[in-house]
Amino acid sequence: MPQGDYIDLHRKRHGYRPDHFEKKRKKEAREVHKRSAIAQKAIGLKGKMFAKKRYAEKALMKKTLAMHDESTSRRKVDDKVHDGALPAYLLDRDETTRAKVLSNTIKQKRKEKAGKWDVPLPKVRPVAEEEMFRVIRSGKRKSKQWKRMVSKVTFVGPAFTRKPPKYERFIRPMALRFTKAHVTHPELKCTFNLEIIGVKKNPNGTMYTSLGVVTRGTIIEVNVSELGLVTPAGKVVWGKYAQVTNNPENDGCINAVLLV
Amino acid sequence: MVQYNFKKMTAVPTGKDFIDIILSRTQRQTPTVVHKGYAISRLRQFYMRKVKYTQQNFHEKLSTIIDEFPRLDDIHPFYGDLLHVLYNKDHYKLALGQINTARNLISKVAKDYVKLLKFGDSLYRCKSLKVAALGRMCTIMKRISPSLAYLEQVRQHMARLPSIDPNTRTILICGYPNVGKSSFINKITRADVDVQPYAFTTKSLFVGHTDYKYLRYQVIDTPGILDRPFEDRNIIEMCSITALAHLRAAVLFFLDVSGSCGYSVAQQAALFHSIKSLFMNKPLIIVCNKIDLQGLDALPEEDMKLVTEMKAEAAKTVVAQGGEASGEAVLLTMSTLTEDGVIAVKNAACERLLNQRVEIKMKSKKINDCLNRFHVAMPKPRDNKERPPCIPQAVLEARAKETQQKEKRKLERDLEDENGGAGVYSASLRKHYILADEEWKEDIMPEILDGHNVYDFVDADILQRLEELEREEGLRLEAEAEAEDDALDMDARDLSPEEREALAEIKKKKAMLIQEHRIKKSTAESRPTVPRKFDRYRSFTTKRMGRELSTLGMDPSAAINRARSKSRVGRKRERSQARGDDEAVNMDVDQPNKKLRLRSRSRSRPPGEVVPGEGLRDSAQKVKAIKLAKNSVKLRNKSARRGEADRVIPNMKPKHLFSGKRSIGKTSRR
Repeated sequence: MPQGDYIDLHRKRHGYRPDHFEKKRKKEAREVHKRSAIAQKAIGLKGKMFAKKRYAEKALMKKTLAMHDESTSRRKVDDKVHDGALPAYLLDRDETTRAKVLSNTIKQKRKEKAGKWDVPLPKVRPVAEEEMFRVIRSGKRKSKQWKRMVSKVTFVGPAFTRKPPKYERFIRPMALRFTKAHVTHPELKCTFNLEIIGVKKNPNGTMYTSLGVVTRGTIIEVNVSELGLVTPAGKVVWGKYAQVTNNPENDGCINAVLLV
Repeated sequence: MVQYNFKKMTAVPTGKDFIDIILSRTQRQTPTVVHKGYAISRLRQFYMRKVKYTQQNFHEKLSTIIDEFPRLDDIHPFYGDLLHVLYNKDHYKLALGQINTARNLISKVAKDYVKLLKFGDSLYRCKSLKVAALGRMCTIMKRISPSLAYLEQVRQHMARLPSIDPNTRTILICGYPNVGKSSFINKITRADVDVQPYAFTTKSLFVGHTDYKYLRYQVIDTPGILDRPFEDRNIIEMCSITALAHLRAAVLFFLDVSGSCGYSVAQQAALFHSIKSLFMNKPLIIVCNKIDLQGLDALPEEDMKLVTEMKAEAAKTVVAQGGEASGEAVLLTMSTLTEDGVIAVKNAACERLLNQRVEIKMKSKKINDCLNRFHVAMPKPRDNKERPPCIPQAVLEARAKETQQKEKRKLERDLEDENGGAGVYSASLRKHYILADEEWKEDIMPEILDGHNVYDFVDADILQRLEELEREEGLRLEAEAEAEDDALDMDARDLSPEEREALAEIKKKKAMLIQEHRIKKSTAESRPTVPRKFDRYRSFTTKRMGRELSTLGMDPSAAINRARSKSRVGRKRERSQARGDDEAVNMDVDQPNKKLRLRSRSRSRPPGEVVPGEGLRDSAQKVKAIKLAKNSVKLRNKSARRGEADRVIPNMKPKHLFSGKRSIGKTSRR
């Protein structure tokens, strides 16, 4: 007990006040009423926050109550067979899945040739050109309108240099250039911050693909060497495709799902 | 001089509270109304401001935390080590480091998003970016919430540390547990340290203050130390070790020679020898406590040997400091139970410390600057003649008298002794009563008289009130006497028949007046107050006045002539001359006063003349129109009803009720 703990010292020497526990009990008992009064009175942001907190508490309480009720209530016996459950006579055998993997890779190769993938976001909203580009007027009288500024997130390679202004039709602003993406591995259910290698395909058109514009549904190639993925042949995979799942220009980051 | 006060650090909110504080601050302090139609630059600016403001607040709050928590390397090594012992330096530094990182990360996030906001092209996009920015800042804060919780606990503990000044005169008490360290500090200071008959009652450092030679000394009570390797020592013991290692203080090593603390003298001696290195260059005193149980003389042979060994060791420190090797000031005995030798120990310690400090100061370079300014005059006696102070005889006498008088005053205690001592003598409480008459003091005062409580009838200022009553009564009696005289006069006179008739007339008139007044009064309440000029029935006329005056027996002609309609004949009153007129004439002509100049009068239109216009052909037509208008409102005016001139357009939507931002409530409920 440090020297500054006056209250503790006093309690140690003289005990609690005679009505301490009674007061405490009463205060606790009144607490609910006070809180409900506040809940009724609070408005605006504070009210919203308070309501949310109360709701969470209430939900938790109901859950716990339900949990305790479970022992008494009757319900169906859960006799579903789990995935991958094996009969006893097969338990000691090794399962081989390699053949399947091999056929998968063959399939993927075929798909790649056809330029079609089974992607998590099969349909995307088409982006109009006006939305994608902003017209920049140039010339002494600002009368020429051949320049465009890309108003979406773009990816440019590390060795990119801008063309001289006279020939630069599409300007890709520095602030909107991204080099990294948050890529989720759908099976591992975890996310990595990986470097982008290139834009494989933008669903809105080849021009956007070549410009490196990243919008929702774009297929990008990311560097997965950190993940330590290995091909069936035993080589380390370092480039893999991923599909962008968010609107990067609205969120300020690129979220993607790895295509496996 | 650095003061170590950790009580003023601001509280560190928990991670959740932190976020709530900052976000609601942003909500309150930045504009909240924005519309799609605003210019895009305005929209961008609106959201950029929110992001920047949030970041600023985070930065400010985190910076205060970083600045206010002491940096362990910068403060006095005593505090540095103490904090390290109590809270673990690594953990402490890590927590502060995390906060610093969070601060930088938040700044970076804000910078990035402001950059992105510059390219925002719609309200929706700007808003999404703002939401994302604030969300990322909050995530960063959420991640450091364990550090914040740790720092809050540290802050609360630090605020309760005793405020020890590491540079002042200090006496440090150390020794095995349960040897009487805390009892000693309780004896010599006002520190209220808990004393219990078990080991490790004191679990942290305690500080108290004592005086010696008009100087203040800081006394520090440390928890007990056990004799074991440095690494095995627990936090409580390490507090003492820290204090011993870093404070330049007089050390009192407490020794329980009786062994009632549960440790033998040999064990205590072993401890002394193992922590000997901490006593270097400090005045050290070995204090043998609890001599009421076991005197130092009656100590067994082997224990005595150990004690003398320690004494010799302690004496070395005296020699090292250049003192003489006498054992007197090094080994002291005392008993905190009987308070035997407690003050001697305190004095010895203070003296030793003071000497040492003075010596160190004398050796330092700075002292020369001070010594130059000192000159202590020590006059030498020039001859053998005695020169005692001269005190006048009168003063001596007065002094003697004073002492005598002082003695002479008899106290209640003396009276008690004279009259049979305590229990026999009962002091009279009435002796010092202040009463109007001295003799009343001994009167018997009954509490109950005739079955009544006397005190209920006691009134402090009864005499004064009685006097007042009497005076009032006298006045009333006088008045009554006068009234009686008058009544006798009236009755005594006999009235003649004419006089009786006149009296009857007067009475009748009076009754009439009263009745009339009452009627007037009753109707006046319910009828609107109408000015005289709207007196519809023209009941108040000069004719009526004349009639009434003549009934009263007066000549009404003069009054009628003076009535307003008659008194005004011919022209109006002439405009009187300006007041300052003749003065202005007397004034110096060179400085004409503008104010005093006569006002020039504009030519006014003669009354009754009307200028044609407003669609009317000529003056006559206009006069006619005015007349018609006047006639039309006459009746309304007479009954004081609302006319055309009273028309008003009320303000159905007063501005102050319908504009501005609502602070609380709604438009309909303000």
